Amino acid sequence: MDGTVPDVTGTPVAATPAATGAGPAVAGAGAPTGTRGRRPSQLLGIRGPLALRWRIGFGALGVATIFAIWTYAAYALNTGSALVPTPAATWKALADLWSTGTLQSDLTASVQRVAIGYSISVVIGAVLGIAIGTFASIESFFEPQIGFLRYIPATALTPLFLLWLGIDESPKIWLIVVGTVFYNILMIADVARNVPRELLNASYTLGATRRTVVRRVILPHSLPGIVDVARINLAAAWLMLVVAELLAAQKGLAFEIIKAQRFRAVDTMFALLIVFGVIGLVSDVFLRWFRGRIAPWARA
Amino acid sequence: MKISPTGRLADDKLVVRGVSKTFTGRKSSVAALEGVDLHVDDGELVCLLGASGCGKSTLLSIIGGLEAPTDGEVRIDEELVIGPGADRGMVFQAYSLYPWLSVSENIEFGLKVARWPKAKRADRVQELLGIMSLTEFAKALPRELSGGMRQRVAIARALAPEPDVLLLDEPFGALDAQTKRSMQDFLLTVWRRTGTTILMVTHDVEEAIYLSQRVYVLAARPGRVAAEVGIPFGHDRGPNIKRDPRFLDLRDELSDLVTH
Repeated sequence: MDGTVPDVTGTPVAATPAATGAGPAVAGAGAPTGTRGRRPSQLLGIRGPLALRWRIGFGALGVATIFAIWTYAAYALNTGSALVPTPAATWKALADLWSTGTLQSDLTASVQRVAIGYSISVVIGAVLGIAIGTFASIESFFEPQIGFLRYIPATALTPLFLLWLGIDESPKIWLIVVGTVFYNILMIADVARNVPRELLNASYTLGATRRTVVRRVILPHSLPGIVDVARINLAAAWLMLVVAELLAAQKGLAFEIIKAQRFRAVDTMFALLIVFGVIGLVSDVFLRWFRGRIAPWARA
Repeated sequence: MKISPTGRLADDKLVVRGVSKTFTGRKSSVAALEGVDLHVDDGELVCLLGASGCGKSTLLSIIGGLEAPTDGEVRIDEELVIGPGADRGMVFQAYSLYPWLSVSENIEFGLKVARWPKAKRADRVQELLGIMSLTEFAKALPRELSGGMRQRVAIARALAPEPDVLLLDEPFGALDAQTKRSMQDFLLTVWRRTGTTILMVTHDVEEAIYLSQRVYVLAARPGRVAAEVGIPFGHDRGPNIKRDPRFLDLRDELSDLVTH
């Protein structure tokens, strides 16, 4: 480590008799030797820049750590019956699911449910959210209802939905809608409220009508925010899907996990959990890319 | 028929008569403006000068129709102002450009709203880009521009639909001294070229003298017109007037009025 004590070697202070007593200070005057300040940390600088190779390096290290812990757990915890599968066993289970075609049909069924249900939720959320965030009258109309409904756990509605809608696709889709739509509405309303007042005022002084302000100012300004909200709440949609499939389904990723439980097939269960994770990762990356595509002006 | 403070009516473009504004809070109410009378002639450039908190921005908002006065009225060409409209273009201190639209699309916004035909829109945008020396930045997004350039876009956007009056709310307040000076000269050039009636709010005494033909000094709590001062410099003034003894006298006089 460098000395961080202030060093006065190079300073040509007028030599008082007392100071000239020791020689080295005067001798160093021609060639400065000290340093000032603390060198910035290369790897642990607070909010410091990190070189790309280090970013990739740390990422790879993180993945490797998880695999190491997983492998250790697989061998250390499995005394007698298998509780944790090895990475290799999981990979094999995944390959089996794929080769029998189970994975494909489960994936299709689950993705379809989420896609339909969540699309409905985002559309309702965008329309109502923008309306609530824009007009105080509409906000007052919906505030008591949404304030009440949002605190009812959507999962508690599952039995009712099964009763009302039967056990085919529609209760699953509507559970996803109900489980996510209130978050979408409230968060998109906030997005619409965040359109700067002055931008609206500037539009009015340019002759814009209220309809024009909503269509040409509030909507485009809210677009990246809506995509952000959709991305954040997508996790809740998958949560609702799992609840729906656990109760009544013949196909689907969560249904497959339940099925695997009956056979104590932990390797299959792990494989399916990884599939969930990959879906989340892929949709997250896609939505970030999509946001940059439709709103390049709002890129960070 | 009422008569404006200076007794003239014929070429009054903008008339503010007895405007008061009271903000009512839960416990007390604040009189932001009280009995403000003023007028701006056709083609005139007038500044509203006052310290911060004297209600000058509130007054401009009322003229723009963005806020309603508690009492009194605003008239443009004898017609009562009841809300915002394209006849009163406004420029704000924070630029307030549409961040998703390019420079030319920002300028075009008001023209689209007014349903100008496409060819006419393009001509008008080109003309303004030229006046504002922004032609080479026509396709840039606001975030790619400097503060001075953004404010030029905002002025061009407000001028595009050919407003009767241009209202400027401390438009150069956020700019550095250098840019501010060049923007002031620039505004004078635009004013001379377009002949637009301009009412500008500022707290900068020298800016008010340098730009305007008349200055209204606003006093605070409650905001009211403390003085109306005519500026004796002609249309084709330049930076040299800042050394004119009359300029220095006016600066001292107005500075005293503003601080009192």
